Amino acid sequence: MSEIDIKRISYLAKLKLPHEKEEFYSNSLKDIIKWVDNLKKIDTSETEPLHNVTEKTASIRNDEINKSNSVDDVLNNAPDRAQNFFKVPKVVE
Amino acid sequence: MSNNWEMVIGLEVHAQLNTSSKLFSSSPNQFGSEPNENVNFIDSGMPGMLPVINFACIEMAIKTGIALNFNINKYSVFERKNYFYPDLPQGYQISQFEFPILTEGFINIDNEGNQKKIRIERAHLEQDAGKSIHDIDPKFSFIDLNRVGTPLLEIVSYPDLSSAEEVVSYMSSLRQVLMYIDVCDGNMQEGSLRADVNLSVRKKGGELGTRCEIKNLNSFKFIRQAIEYEFKRQIDVIESGGKIEQNTMLFDTSTGETRAMRSKEFSHDYRYFPDPDLLPVNLTQDQIDKVKTSVGELPQAKLDKFIKDYNVDKDIAKIITTEKQNAILFEKMISETDVKPKFIAAWLVGDIFAFIKENNLELSSLNEKTKDITDLLKLVSEDVISNKAGKEILPKVLNGQGKPSDIVKELGLEQVSDSSELEKIIDETLIGEEENILKFQGGSDRVLGYFVGKCLKATKGKGNPKLINKILLERLKK
Repeated sequence: MSEIDIKRISYLAKLKLPHEKEEFYSNSLKDIIKWVDNLKKIDTSETEPLHNVTEKTASIRNDEINKSNSVDDVLNNAPDRAQNFFKVPKVVE
Repeated sequence: MSNNWEMVIGLEVHAQLNTSSKLFSSSPNQFGSEPNENVNFIDSGMPGMLPVINFACIEMAIKTGIALNFNINKYSVFERKNYFYPDLPQGYQISQFEFPILTEGFINIDNEGNQKKIRIERAHLEQDAGKSIHDIDPKFSFIDLNRVGTPLLEIVSYPDLSSAEEVVSYMSSLRQVLMYIDVCDGNMQEGSLRADVNLSVRKKGGELGTRCEIKNLNSFKFIRQAIEYEFKRQIDVIESGGKIEQNTMLFDTSTGETRAMRSKEFSHDYRYFPDPDLLPVNLTQDQIDKVKTSVGELPQAKLDKFIKDYNVDKDIAKIITTEKQNAILFEKMISETDVKPKFIAAWLVGDIFAFIKENNLELSSLNEKTKDITDLLKLVSEDVISNKAGKEILPKVLNGQGKPSDIVKELGLEQVSDSSELEKIIDETLIGEEENILKFQGGSDRVLGYFVGKCLKATKGKGNPKLINKILLERLKK
């Protein structure tokens, strides 16, 4: 099993992890992965990958416009707004 | 800089599909609306909302597959690509990864007369993100989610391109095909078609170098500038002993330079996995065959037809086939008259295009006037009026100021093509010109021009020049 880069994982998950908890979570994750790795015992060399358990095909819709809400309905859920824009802390690449 | 370097380029082209509604929601797929006007709870990533595929997007992908010689995969899977920015609130982009709808296509490009086959690795469907506006407020970004969920077809080429010219030729050929099959409006300024350029350099014939990706170029000019700058930059780095780092670059349109995007704490980790909200797409042969009938004639086929069947010069045929609406208008005109296509073509790319450009019109505004245009061209081709008179009348016809034959009569522009009438005028003109006639008979051709001019003047410019020439020669040679 590969080493766990707990700093990277907390970054990707957008979770702030106190330094003293890093080892604890690192070990917990290792245990989880060890348990999941049990699946590797099954021989799947003859099995087609399954992308969805229902084995049905995607439902589709026709190309039709349906406006069911107003701008305000959507912006009412925003943490902050400016006129009709969502207003968020600056993100620049 | 030594000149034994070459560039190796692959392109990722994002084409917005011109559907009415979005890829997974029923919101309008429309450019230029008021901020957040076209956003519903699916687009804004509200919990519990379920995406449903717009089948028109699948059909457009199939159409593109046929036009660009792809394998059309009956089985394809939508996956989640982790992406954590406010312009896509659901936290991931729905895209296709391991099982894209199209694989292994190609397109032939023409680079200054040389044909080259550019292989295309894949094309897949995905959603576009919204727009962030950073320059209104120093501390905040403003977000407009109208573009969220706009259907994109991402077309990924192999690294088969080796110059800025080839890239531009590839991109414009793609654009032309996508517009012909009516899946993308091709408007690069509005972002309907944009490209990411992957470029590396190597010594001619040597091993591939490390590539950099220049993101989001939305004009042919910027593509060319970015490639030329990045090519030189990479060579400079290597020649001064440095190493190219695999980087994502931005192109600064104001300076014409590329620069690395602010490096993030950690590199991207997309962690693709099949989207549990969307079942795999299983297409039937029947669904694919149905689309086949709607592909229509492709640009190359039209070009060949215009050159071979209609006898139009290659350069002119190319101009006409650049855009589908030009080609359609041309074919409509041909079907309505017995004037030679070659003659129509010359007028179309000449005075008619010039009129459209001068008056800032769409060519489609002439759709209802093609019969009047061809009637006018018939008058010219049959020498009823002169070429010059035709050019004079054309704007009036295009402005809808009357039937060509009426305008001709009204302005008295009909040419005198009655031989006996012309003979009379010519005979009168030659009176007292014995000296010049002798000069002509002595071998001075220049005198002929003088006589033609004099006769034309005598007809007040209405004499048919060809006929005047003919009669004059007969008279003078006596």
